[in-house]
Amino acid sequence: MRIGYYISGAGHIALILFVLFGGMFNSTPEPFEVTEVSVISGAEFEAMMAAVQPPEATTDVAVPPPPALQEAPPPAESQPDPTPPQPVQPQVTEAPPPDPVPQSAEALPPQPAEVSDAAPVLAPPPQEQVVLAPDNSSRPVPRPAERVAPEPVAAPEPDTRVADTVTEEVVPDEAAETPREEAEAGAPEEATTQIVTEATEPPSAAPTTSVRPRTRPARPEPVAEAPREQPTPQPAPQQPAVQQPSTSDAVNDALRQALEGAAPATPTPAGQSGPPMTSGERDALRVAVQQCWNVGSLSSEALRTTVVVAVSMSEDGRPMNETLRMLSYDGGSEAAARQAFESARRAIIRCGASGFNLPRDKYAQWREIEMTFNPENMRIR
Amino acid sequence: MALLSRGIILASVLALAACTNPDRFDSAGGAGGAGGIGGIGAPGSASDPRSPLYFQQTIGDRVLFPVDQSSITPQYQAVLDGQAQWLMTNTDYVAIIEGHADEQGTREYNLALGARRANAVQEYLISRGVASSRLRVISYGKERPIELCSDEACYSQNRRAVTVISAGLSG
Amino acid sequence: MTRVLTLLAALVVLAMPAAAQTGPLRIEITEGVIEPLPFANPDFVAENAAAAELARAISRVVAEDLTGTGLFREIPSNAFISQITSFNSPVQFADWRAINAQALISGAVSVGGDGSIAVKFRLYDVFAGQELGDGLQFNGTQAGWRRMAHKVADAVYSRITGEGGYFDSRVVYVAETGPKDDRRKRLAIMDYDGANVQYLTDSNAIVLAPRFSPTGDRILFTSYESGFPRIYVMDVASVGRRALPTQEGTMSFAPRFAPDGNTVVYSLTTGGNTDIYRMDINSGATTRLTSTPSIETAPSFSPDGSRIVFESDRSGTQQLYIMSANGGEPQRISFGQGRYGTPVWSPRGDLIAFTKQSKGRFHIGVMRTDGSEERLLTASFLDEGPTWSPNGRVIMFTRETQGESGAASLYSVDISGRNLKQIRTEGGASDPAWSPLQR
Repeated sequence: MRIGYYISGAGHIALILFVLFGGMFNSTPEPFEVTEVSVISGAEFEAMMAAVQPPEATTDVAVPPPPALQEAPPPAESQPDPTPPQPVQPQVTEAPPPDPVPQSAEALPPQPAEVSDAAPVLAPPPQEQVVLAPDNSSRPVPRPAERVAPEPVAAPEPDTRVADTVTEEVVPDEAAETPREEAEAGAPEEATTQIVTEATEPPSAAPTTSVRPRTRPARPEPVAEAPREQPTPQPAPQQPAVQQPSTSDAVNDALRQALEGAAPATPTPAGQSGPPMTSGERDALRVAVQQCWNVGSLSSEALRTTVVVAVSMSEDGRPMNETLRMLSYDGGSEAAARQAFESARRAIIRCGASGFNLPRDKYAQWREIEMTFNPENMRIR
Repeated sequence: MALLSRGIILASVLALAACTNPDRFDSAGGAGGAGGIGGIGAPGSASDPRSPLYFQQTIGDRVLFPVDQSSITPQYQAVLDGQAQWLMTNTDYVAIIEGHADEQGTREYNLALGARRANAVQEYLISRGVASSRLRVISYGKERPIELCSDEACYSQNRRAVTVISAGLSG
Repeated sequence: MTRVLTLLAALVVLAMPAAAQTGPLRIEITEGVIEPLPFANPDFVAENAAAAELARAISRVVAEDLTGTGLFREIPSNAFISQITSFNSPVQFADWRAINAQALISGAVSVGGDGSIAVKFRLYDVFAGQELGDGLQFNGTQAGWRRMAHKVADAVYSRITGEGGYFDSRVVYVAETGPKDDRRKRLAIMDYDGANVQYLTDSNAIVLAPRFSPTGDRILFTSYESGFPRIYVMDVASVGRRALPTQEGTMSFAPRFAPDGNTVVYSLTTGGNTDIYRMDINSGATTRLTSTPSIETAPSFSPDGSRIVFESDRSGTQQLYIMSANGGEPQRISFGQGRYGTPVWSPRGDLIAFTKQSKGRFHIGVMRTDGSEERLLTASFLDEGPTWSPNGRVIMFTRETQGESGAASLYSVDISGRNLKQIRTEGGASDPAWSPLQR
């Protein structure tokens, strides 16, 4: 109470002085008068100026220019880089090339005309309709978690270590060099299926009006599912089975030629291709890659960019990393496509490191893989 | 002239500053109390009908408003009638009308809303014959609450327009 | 004929998967995960003894910048298998891969004889075994070491995410002390992460809502120092300031620069009515942009300077409107339940951030410029006054707690709604405004 009095008293004295000597309400105030802030103590001011100045190179000659962005080929770059024996990994790119062109340039030939995958690929319907918590929803309200994944993952047991990938008890290789924490059987990190913002956390506070109009083109959901199911050699050949392959090949070839103006690159003789992949086998591969496809650090433009990535596989189901390349991209700039490709590349390499679970007897079917990474569903969740 | 206006401002600023924390001296809150400081050197007590203290405590220096409103309710028209009468009688005084808002609003909007409230009071007083040259308005938005809780009980006291009397116009 | 075509089309559809098997196997990945990208950031190499402490400090700031975005997760150094002891020695990718470091930053710091410092770094995509971009070096003064760290982090951020960074930026805000009914306010400026606080005014007069100029060299703000709210412009470097011209008997507030840096839009109240005006800051010439009996305030320019978004209660409650930069008939863009205020156009131009009041709570939200795709990012007793990071990815705002001891502080949130966190400031803080990236 007394403190308040003192503050008040001091304030009033200051006000009196200010009004008497401050020249407030001069009938003709100078409209463009520039005043220094002298009310700050000298020491404060010094400190402020000292702190302000260094970065503000424009106003002080004594201060060297602000950190100049300069390409710095560090001295050692000219020296031959003594690349030590490094097994397996191709070290082509390790020595920083004097070449300013980004290394991935070869992977980015602009191919605007390439539409090979755009048409045939029908996106499967989203596995779940993601809507920001409508308040009449009876769905369980997702809890916030640092990770957003297609499948919700419950919080691990208290003493389970969170691993970056779901690891089996037996780690095939790398086990020797893997540090303890990674070698232990890891539970997948806790994940939620959508971003839970503070605004959506308490069900009662769910935004009533943010029915996000996701203006997505109407998607023919039933149709989309159809082609995926159809190819599987399910014992239901209602159509004349004989007719299908030939006609479809013909039609498809025609279509392909019309679209690409060229013959397919790697024609595998039908006789050697073995039985086709089942949808289950394809899905297993898709799911495996999805687990490692982290779009969390992508810019919003990169999240609008679909990239098609090609990779050659070795017979043990591992991607041959040096063959990874971007075939085409759609929806964003080249720079955005590069980031999108890099995240796709990481996904394939990371989750393929111990080999994808692919049927060996159908190697011819998956020797070459083209993956379309379409982040549309991942934009806002 | 310059000296004169300084005097006016000094007085008004004093009164105004005191108004920012009347609660410290009057735990009952509501109207009154601010005169304790504003009255440094000011003659008269609350019983002296010519004193600012009388204006503040007996007539009532403030008008309260419903949420988001700036029109004067009948209850406060009587208060403002009293204010107008006092100002007409005591022509030595001028007034600054402060408009305030509760904290339930964005800063900019509340500034504008406070200005509306202060203006509503000013217009009422003018309509009752007070010369417009004796009245000024200012809005503090939600910057200067007098009640601190975050309930309607406090909000209703903070949605106010306060007529702050200052002496000085003696000649 | 039509039937034949239909049949043909059907066959094409049926044939697709079969056809795929004659070429490469084609799959589409439409679901992924959103999680922080794990990176390793070994302490930068000190290239001479004088740089030892600095090297460690700089790598810490780089790591804090990156993890602070919520997009990256740092792998603790005790998990490292190999160390970086020289900036130019080759990287043992297998060692970093084994601990699941997806990005690796290697850096070095040296102190020159004149006290200047050089900071250089390289960024690696560990799994691809490649360098991401070229090595970069920054030269500067020792006093500016934090800025150099922020520069490194900006470059890393931008190379991985594909969008500009925001670490080498500052925030001007209102520092608050004292109880609610006797709150003292003064202008302050700090680095975006809360470091290097400096006070720009004393606390004798209420100051409100500072705003940076497009180049970050000047600040507009509202002050009561004349007794009435008036707009001032301050030069950040010299801290000198002047009041913008005004008319007796009016109040002016809610100023904001146009992208040209010479025009200011603001609210002016006269006769109890608040409208939006623009002023040429050099000549003082003003133009009135709205003229209705309702409250029009909180104007904000589109990044191209052609349009202004603002709030108005002409419909009966606060809602958002967009008009031409020259005035004219505005279009209402907010139609949800509740009240919308303090709209701010994003630097990318595609979104508008706002404060929303609904059912007794306050939210920070974003919507597209046509009002669609509204998303609420926060909810609390009182959130208000969003400001955009220079890259349009993060929003900072004021959060005030309720009750007699209520106090304000600064928070930031990613536009996805994730990574909500408090910015540490000494004492209370409100009305943040984010600067552009420094040069």
